[in-house]
Parts: sequence; structure tokens; C-alpha cells
Amino acid sequence: MELMLEQMPIVIRSLNVGFLQTLKLFAVTLLGAVPLGLVIAFGSMSRFRPLSYITKIIVWIIRGTPLMIQLLIIYYFPGLVLGKPIWGGGEAGRFLAASCSFIFNYACYFSEIYRGGIQSVPVGQEEAGLVLGMTRSQIFFKVTLLQMIKRIVPPMSNEIITLVKDTSLARIIALQEIIWAGQAFMKGSQGISGAIWPLFFTAVYYLIFSGILTVLLGRLEKKLDYFR
Amino acid sequence: MAILEVEHICKSFEKTEVLKDISFSLEEGQVLSIIGSSGSGKTTLLRCLNFLERPDSGIIRVCGETLFDSGNPASLQESEIRKKRLHFGLVFQSFNLFPQYTALGNVMLAKELLAREQPDYKARKKEIQEEIRVLAEELLKQMGLSDRMHNYPHQLSGGQCQRVAIARALALKPDILCFDEPTSALDPELTGEVLKVMKELAEQKTTMIIVTHEMAFARDVASHVIFMDDGYILEQGTPSQVFEHSHEERTKQFLSRFTNG
Amino acid sequence: MKKLMAMMVAGVMTAAMVTGCGGGSGTPADAPAETVAPSEDGSAEDANAEATDTESGQEEAAVSGDSDLEYVKEKGTLVVGITDFEPMDYKDESGSWIGFDADMASAFAESLGVSVEFVEIDWDNKIMELDGKTIDCVWNGMTLTDEVMSAMECSNAYCNNAQIVIVSADKADQYQDVESLSDLTFAVEAGSAGEKEVTSLGLNFTPVKAQSDALMEVAAGTSDAAVIDSLMAAAMVGEGTGYENLTYTVGLNSEEYGVGFRKGSDLAAALNEFFAASYADGSMTETAEKYGVQAAVIAQ
Repeated sequence: MELMLEQMPIVIRSLNVGFLQTLKLFAVTLLGAVPLGLVIAFGSMSRFRPLSYITKIIVWIIRGTPLMIQLLIIYYFPGLVLGKPIWGGGEAGRFLAASCSFIFNYACYFSEIYRGGIQSVPVGQEEAGLVLGMTRSQIFFKVTLLQMIKRIVPPMSNEIITLVKDTSLARIIALQEIIWAGQAFMKGSQGISGAIWPLFFTAVYYLIFSGILTVLLGRLEKKLDYFR
Repeated sequence: MAILEVEHICKSFEKTEVLKDISFSLEEGQVLSIIGSSGSGKTTLLRCLNFLERPDSGIIRVCGETLFDSGNPASLQESEIRKKRLHFGLVFQSFNLFPQYTALGNVMLAKELLAREQPDYKARKKEIQEEIRVLAEELLKQMGLSDRMHNYPHQLSGGQCQRVAIARALALKPDILCFDEPTSALDPELTGEVLKVMKELAEQKTTMIIVTHEMAFARDVASHVIFMDDGYILEQGTPSQVFEHSHEERTKQFLSRFTNG
Repeated sequence: MKKLMAMMVAGVMTAAMVTGCGGGSGTPADAPAETVAPSEDGSAEDANAEATDTESGQEEAAVSGDSDLEYVKEKGTLVVGITDFEPMDYKDESGSWIGFDADMASAFAESLGVSVEFVEIDWDNKIMELDGKTIDCVWNGMTLTDEVMSAMECSNAYCNNAQIVIVSADKADQYQDVESLSDLTFAVEAGSAGEKEVTSLGLNFTPVKAQSDALMEVAAGTSDAAVIDSLMAAAMVGEGTGYENLTYTVGLNSEEYGVGFRKGSDLAAALNEFFAASYADGSMTETAEKYGVQAAVIAQ
């Protein structure tokens, strides 16, 4: 116990650095995947058949394979098969590769949620907009979008909470997120070795962060309660 | 001159012919009631007039302007259709109010969006918005909803919702206001308030086309009645011609169900 | 599009096999070498092309092995793949990498006239990192096993090590010879030299992801014993560490550390020369003394 208190400041500092990386990956993924998911959703709903087929196949592949494998492919494939290590070996390159994998993966999941949300808005809403002389984009942004958002908030909250924890997968390409930072003390790092508790302590970070997100998303849900 | 002329409209879904050679005309300030059993093509006809469906053939003219001519491809363009729709207003059976806007917001929305296309919108933004708001409030007052303007659709009764929907359609000042079974989704005790509003509109010489199952209302308010059966116009004329002196056996059969029932 | 997808799928398979081979016990040692070979050819050619492009006046690079040294010199950085492994590679208080391996790697890079960059990698993916050119060498107390030597171009051995058995301190006196180990369950790092030892002794074992995980298994009681590197055990087990209740008993074998490069790379030969020179002038021993590993250093 005494030893643990002694190690605490070093461990916390190290976990904070790792958690910052986790947060960065989380934020970048969300910022990228939320709009990209909408683009993919429109692609899969397109009336131009080839486009919707291709989009659906891509979504199937991305959702049908483990994110861990996708990370490995995106990071190592260029160097291994094409002979061009486009990401480089440094931390920035690994982060970029991880961001690309996560954004693409999550955009595919989001796209399916969006599609369900858009399709669950009654056709009558669009028709009402049309007979009032609104353009299709006006109908989407002024009528459909908010109703869709209201419907997708609960499933999106689920995915977002999952994303928080999924970021830990990025350590397969040696992105030093919080679990990596916690594990380092088991092997030995900064004079602390054989310490198991930092790894378990990372759970506290996840718990607090997902708690904050749950509250925020719950508020959003409540905010949209004013209409049905 | 007739405000609306419809000539030889045909429409099929896949292999089913829903509208078969429909022609009629309507004078300004008149009220046209379309009656007939379910599946006779009444609703499809209204949807064709509002360009929610595209007729396979035929011509639609409003105030002498050809809005739709199946023989003239230029009239079929999507971008053109949006403007042409504004000649018509449509009140749906299921209201289709926008749930995230208040009653007032529902009435104002389309008009506001349309106003943005005016060249002087930026300069007179506040003024224009104020005008639109005053107009919307007046319409809702006319519908007897002055104390409900700031309620959301889910806080209103069905009858109140339908009156908001009517105000919403009127806000764009359409030449012809169409109703698609406006009282069918309402509880019986709520139909009265909607029919009363429609009757007032008729008295103010609003040109209307009403698809309805309310036979008594059609007879009282309409200046012209069309009876549709299996995609055809089987009979048309003044209410007394259709209701009391019908020539066709189908018409008599149909009407007897209402008078006896 | 379809073709690209097919290629990607094939790529995954290759990648999965390369990583998988490190972990699976009893996988033929030559498998990784075979799967790696085609991509290695590709990257070597590519490096060749780059070299001739920029040094147009020079004669053509004759053998593909020439190119790796040129490739590193040209980009001006030697990227060293490491893990946090005291006393070989670890961070000092200011956050820069030190240790016997880290200091030697910096000196080697200096001798080549390039800068050094340390990159923490996932140990499982070291071959993929090398062949994918995201790192240029693995320099991290790596035991020279048959698998390692067939998949990488390795330097001469520079440091001795042993695989030793870790048990909880209160039971240590019962397990002081190899014969007594047969009724224990072991945790060993997948693909490590320790795994090889327990396999050849026919002992019961569970492969885990890292040596540190193996220690945790013993501490948590989910395994009776672990086999890890003696250099690591010295730093991590016993008084003053997080594993005060563990201790080491039997040494199973002795082994040697080496540095790994891409298959066919001429950097291995360059490093051997550097090792010989720095052993001769005493600088290697001096560095080893700094980290208390001088007794383990092998004469070059």
C-alpha cells in the first residue's frame, strides 16, 4: 500500500499522457465518422444502383471484419506489400493510421444507424415539405434531420460509449494509449516494475469518461424531448 | 375562364390502372367534391395535381398556364415542378405536421424558406419575417387557434392539428386548396370543428377540391361533385344532379350505403 | 475495387500468418521466412531504385543487400524498434530513451552519420514492423532463436542471458531442480525463448502476451510458475519490486541477445564491425558498466 502511494504520482502522470492519446483518438474519430457516416448512408440509399451496391459491400466488409485486423492492414499493408511505408514509424504516423481506421470503421456503423433513422421518418413528412414548395435539401435539413437525430441518439450513444473502450485496440499498432501506459509498469518503466495496479487503474479513467459522456448524451436526449 | 383544366389524365402503378382518362374543369371560387369508394383513384388524382405522382399522360392547366403536358418534356423537369406545386395546397388525411415546430412554426416555415429566394431578403430580413409571422398568426386565429399558436403538434388534438395543417397550406396562398379525406383520421366528435372551418373557407370563395366520405358535407358545401369508380369519372354535376338524380346504378348503390347507414 | 479488396484480404492473411507464427507453439520455423520473402524482395528493389535515382553518377548497386544501409543513410534516421525493457531500453526522468541497448544504438547511428529514433512497438509485430519499413531494426534484448534468425538478418550475439523459472517465494525450496517442475503449470510469453524451453521439457504451459503477463499469472495464482529472461527477472522480481512474493529458482538454458534487421540487410554486417570496434576500444564495456550488465557482455 505504501509502495503504491509512492508510485502513484509517476503512474498518474504516465496514465494521463496515455489518456490524452485515448481522448485524441476518440475525438478525431467522432469528428470524422459522424459526417462521413452520413455520406455513406446516402451512398447506400442512392437510387443509382451501382453506387448503393458498392457502398453496401464496403459497409459489409468493414462491419464484418475485426477492427483489429483493419488497423493492422491500414498500418502495415503499405510498407509490407507496396514497399511504401506511407505512415512512417513515428508516433504521429501511428496516430494518423489509427485515426483513419477508426473513422472509417465507425462511419460504417454510424451509416447504418443513420439509414435506419432517416427511413423511420414517415414519408408524409417529405411529402408535406414537397407540396409546400420546399427543395429536397431544405426538407432534409429543416424537417427530416432533427427527427432523425432524435431517433438515433439512443443507438448512437451506445456506439459512442463503445468507441471510448475500442480506442484501446489501437495499441496493436503500438499507439500508446492509456492501457499501453498502464501495462508498461508491469514490465518495468520509469523505475517501477512489476506493478499490476496501474493497468487496473486505467478502468477508473474509462469509467469516469464514459460516465461524463452518458450524462451529456442523456441531456441531449432530454433536450429533444420537446417534440414527438 | 376555368381556373383548373384537367384533360385525359391516365396513371398506372406497375400493371394496375388507377386513373383512366380523367377530365374535368373547375371555376374560380368553386368547391369540387370528389366522392367514391376506397381504391377508386380519388387520392391518386389529388396526388397527381400536387405532383406527388406523375401522370403517365394528360394535361394540367391552371389559369390557362400549362403546368403539365405529357407530350411536352420541358414541362416535366424536376426543378420546374417545385414552383408549379405552389399553385396547389394540400391538406393530408394524417396532417403530416412537422413535429419539431410549434403550430406557428409549422405555418411560417415554408413561407420563410421561400422568402429567402427574394432578391431583397437580406436587406429586409427582419421586416419580411415580421410580415410572415403576422400573416401566420392571423391564419391561426381564423382557424380558432389563437391560444394554441405556441403548442407543439403532440400537444394538440387531432382536430386542432388538422386546422393547423389547413393554415399551413393557406399561408402560401395557393390558387386551389386540396383536401385528402381531411376528417378520416379524426374521432367523430372532432370532425365538426374541421368541417366548420372548411365551410367558412367555402363561404369566402376559396377554390377547393375536397376528397371526402362526409356525404352530407359534400352536398351542402360543394358547387360541383364528381363520383369516381374504378379509376373513371362515372358521374359529375351539381350536388342535386349527383345525389338526387343520379343516372348510374353504381352511384345509387354507393350513395344508398350512406343514406341508409 | 474488387481486385484491391482481394489484394487486401491476401495481405491480411500474410500479415496474420507472420504474427501468428511468433505466437503459435510448434509452428515450423521456416514458415515466416517464406511468407516474408516476396515482400522483402519488393522493398529491396524499391530501395534500390531510390538509391540509383538520387545517386545517378554512381555505379549500380550490385546486390540487393547493399540498399538497406543506403536507404537508412538517405533518409538520415535509423528507426529502432524497442519495448520498455529495463535495463536494455527504458526512459529516464526527462523521458528520453536510455539503457545498454539504447545507448549502443545511438552510438551506432552516430557512426553511420544518421540520427536515431526510438519507436515503441508491439513485440508480436516486430517482423511486420521491419518488413513494412516502419522500423529499421529490433534492438531490445532479443534472444537469438531459430525463428528470429530465419525471419531477420541478425547481428552477432552481444550479450548472454538465461531463461529462469519464477515461482512464489514460499514454495521456492520445493522447486530447485528441473525434475521437480513437472507438476507445475507454467505461463510463458508466446514466441519467447522461455516457451521453447518448456515445450522441449514437455511441461504444461499457457502462452501469454508478454513476460510481464506471465509474472502476473504467477502473482495472481492462475499459473504456478513462469519462465522469463534472467536480465528481466533481476529487475522485476524480489525485494523492492512489485513482485516481492516471487523469486527465481532453476535456470533452464543460456542464450544470447542479438539485433535484428530486415532479411538480407547489410546493416547487420555494418553493426558487427561497429561491435568489434567498440569492444576493442572498451566503449562497449564502459556502456555495459553503466547499466550493470558488464558480466553478460560477449567478447566481439
